[in-house]
Amino acid sequence: MRLELRDVRFQYPTGVVALDGVNLTVGSGEALALVGENGAGKTTLVKLFNGLLRPTVGTVLVDGEDSRRQTVAQLARHVGFVFQNPDDQLFARSVRDEVSFGPRNLRLDEAEVRRRVEQALDDVGLSQAIGRHPYDLAVPERKLVALAAALAMHTPALVLDEPTIGQDAQGVERLGALVDRLHAEGRTLVSITHDLDFCLMHFDRVAVMAGGHILADGPAPDVLRRVDLLRQAQVEPPELVQLALGLGWDTMVRTPEAFAAQLAEVRH
Amino acid sequence: MITVSGLRYRYPETARPALDGIDLSIEAGELVGVVGANGAGKSTLCYALTGYIPHFFGGTMEGEVQVGGHDVRRTPVSDLAADVGLVFHNPFNQISGARYTVLEEVAFGLENLGVEPGAMRERSMHALRATGLDGLAERSPFTLSGGEQQRLAIAAVMAMQPRVLVLDEPTSQLDPAGTRAAFEVLRGLARSRETTIVLTEHKLGWLAAFVDRLLVLHAGRLVADGLPRRVLAEAVDQPWGVGATQFTRAVQAARQRRLVAEGTILPVTLDQALEVLR
Amino acid sequence: MNSEVSRTPTGLHALHPLTKLTLMLLALVAAAAMPTTLAVLAVFLGLLLPLAAWGRCLGAFLRTCLRVMTPFFISLVLIQGFFTPGPTALLRLGPFRYTLEGLLVALLFSSRLLVGLGAATLLMMVTRPDALMRALVARGLPNQIAYIVVTALQIVPTFQARAHSILDAQRSRGLETEGRLIVRLRAFAPLVGPLILSSLMEIEERAIALEARAFNRAGRRTSLISLRDTRGQALLRRVLLLAGLALVAARLMLWRAA
Repeated sequence: MRLELRDVRFQYPTGVVALDGVNLTVGSGEALALVGENGAGKTTLVKLFNGLLRPTVGTVLVDGEDSRRQTVAQLARHVGFVFQNPDDQLFARSVRDEVSFGPRNLRLDEAEVRRRVEQALDDVGLSQAIGRHPYDLAVPERKLVALAAALAMHTPALVLDEPTIGQDAQGVERLGALVDRLHAEGRTLVSITHDLDFCLMHFDRVAVMAGGHILADGPAPDVLRRVDLLRQAQVEPPELVQLALGLGWDTMVRTPEAFAAQLAEVRH
Repeated sequence: MITVSGLRYRYPETARPALDGIDLSIEAGELVGVVGANGAGKSTLCYALTGYIPHFFGGTMEGEVQVGGHDVRRTPVSDLAADVGLVFHNPFNQISGARYTVLEEVAFGLENLGVEPGAMRERSMHALRATGLDGLAERSPFTLSGGEQQRLAIAAVMAMQPRVLVLDEPTSQLDPAGTRAAFEVLRGLARSRETTIVLTEHKLGWLAAFVDRLLVLHAGRLVADGLPRRVLAEAVDQPWGVGATQFTRAVQAARQRRLVAEGTILPVTLDQALEVLR
Repeated sequence: MNSEVSRTPTGLHALHPLTKLTLMLLALVAAAAMPTTLAVLAVFLGLLLPLAAWGRCLGAFLRTCLRVMTPFFISLVLIQGFFTPGPTALLRLGPFRYTLEGLLVALLFSSRLLVGLGAATLLMMVTRPDALMRALVARGLPNQIAYIVVTALQIVPTFQARAHSILDAQRSRGLETEGRLIVRLRAFAPLVGPLILSSLMEIEERAIALEARAFNRAGRRTSLISLRDTRGQALLRRVLLLAGLALVAARLMLWRAA
């Protein structure tokens, strides 16, 4: 599922130009992280992928087709979306019913819906909460329910808006493993994140945004070492990048293990 | 300034206690961080220090909590508010809605406390300057960004000049710039050592660089209490779910390969890591 | 209502909120008490319009009055005209008679409504709601009620943004919102549910925040903003109140005599 933005400009009715001449291609099966301060245009950009917003100028292609030809509900079959605020979508009396909502909208038979719901809740580690009322869960767990709800739709592409906010260490680790697995399955992933360490570890490609423009777009270790550029976007480099640069290294590492391996080499 | 003895608390209609025997003592002017997995009791502890437990949430509470000379169980929350301030993670929900400008929003608490108008204006402007919001004094709070709204919440509580300030994951919804701004405000407050600060966070790097002392909550119990670096180094081998910074993990991986001495205390910050590795 | 209080500082804006409130209440009482349409219109033309001009919002005021009154006026003219019994028929449509008496009743009622809506509109245009609430609280209105009024004015508009976010979220999960009635009905729970539930969460957190500002503290409260009141205004308010009472008395006597 390829996602493309061609010469996209987006202006809100208020006059604010949120995106100004953006070109971006996310290849099928790629995992892209979007970083940059709030107001840079990241959320506006990703909302173009599932039709919530239509470009003022330019074209958005979802799987090669102009997104304008499909409604949001139609695009929802191809591009899943996990919003930052889970409370904008939770309405059902049980976690099971909540996660079933998406698959049911896809008109799947109940047996398939049930299977997907159980799998999705297992993926996010909330199987034991299946019968509970979503609002009985704490906010970070509600975020995971929203994620499970999107996972259950089995969309070839998935957009995540700040998935790690409020999660504890185990939650972040589980999300990282999930992202890795979805990537391995060939899903196209686009994630907005402020957690640069999470970004470096789990996303091959990073785009840095500021003021409605993409300042840089490339492999994660290359983009995330450009400290001045990141500062321009009001973002600090990942800790492993800070460490590598502090040691005078030229090559970046993405995980603690890779760090130790490179340290061993350097020391010899 | 803060004394907690034998604190046990269970939310209404729950089986498991959220806090299961906490004993704690915090001196005036200390900067204390609290970490732990979600559900360990961090927010509950914040509410217990500010009187929402037991007054707002009900439930069953045992033990004693003394904050700023008040027995929390015997003092209504509104009376405690003058001495103990609370800031929590949702910036929008902390806007009172009762005032039309940022300046008035900050003064709102002071009006409730019956502070004289002259002093009120001065304290409010001071709080706005300390949080970098003085240029926004005449704006509506609802037009501010999330980061600005969170700083407004801090200003509004700061203006009340509490002796203790409790912050529950204050930066979780903020972007890096907002997080940095919030910590700068706290650093400014901490400098004078007039306010005792208790702060829960998941962002270990920021927290460790800021606090003097770190507490770890696990399943409602206090399992560690000491210098941030030592506590976090210990946490790496424990099932507390505290996590670690990448600096810690990198040196831990290096230690496993014997590239770093066995007895090295794991670093938490960049400077500590570079020191260990050179 | 999208009434951004005009920023132009005029004498009317500077008046104490209670003075403005009393003026508007007098207009309402006068409109209710005056027996003829012309008298009621005189209140509009003689009291409200000059005040609006003083407040430099005459244009906006007239536009709002026109916009709000037109549907009411049309319905009143039609309903009262056709369904009020009377001897003078102006028009006949099959079995229905449009009477002059009906038209006159409609005009009287419309003019009273015009003054009522006009007074409320003008008050909102030249008075900040929180200033009015401060003035009332100083006179004994419970703090909690004042809070509810001002907060409702500020928070309720945010519901619109929230409803939009909810709509976005549910559409992204495949919810259809356009089409047959049954489709729209199915969309009700997923759209309204989150709005209500998240509002309840928000209310709880806001209540916590209010406690942190000592909102429920018993004891003396002060005000950052002192509303300028003059002896002249205080006297004027008393005079206006008496005038209002006198009008009511006169009307009752007229009514009794008729």
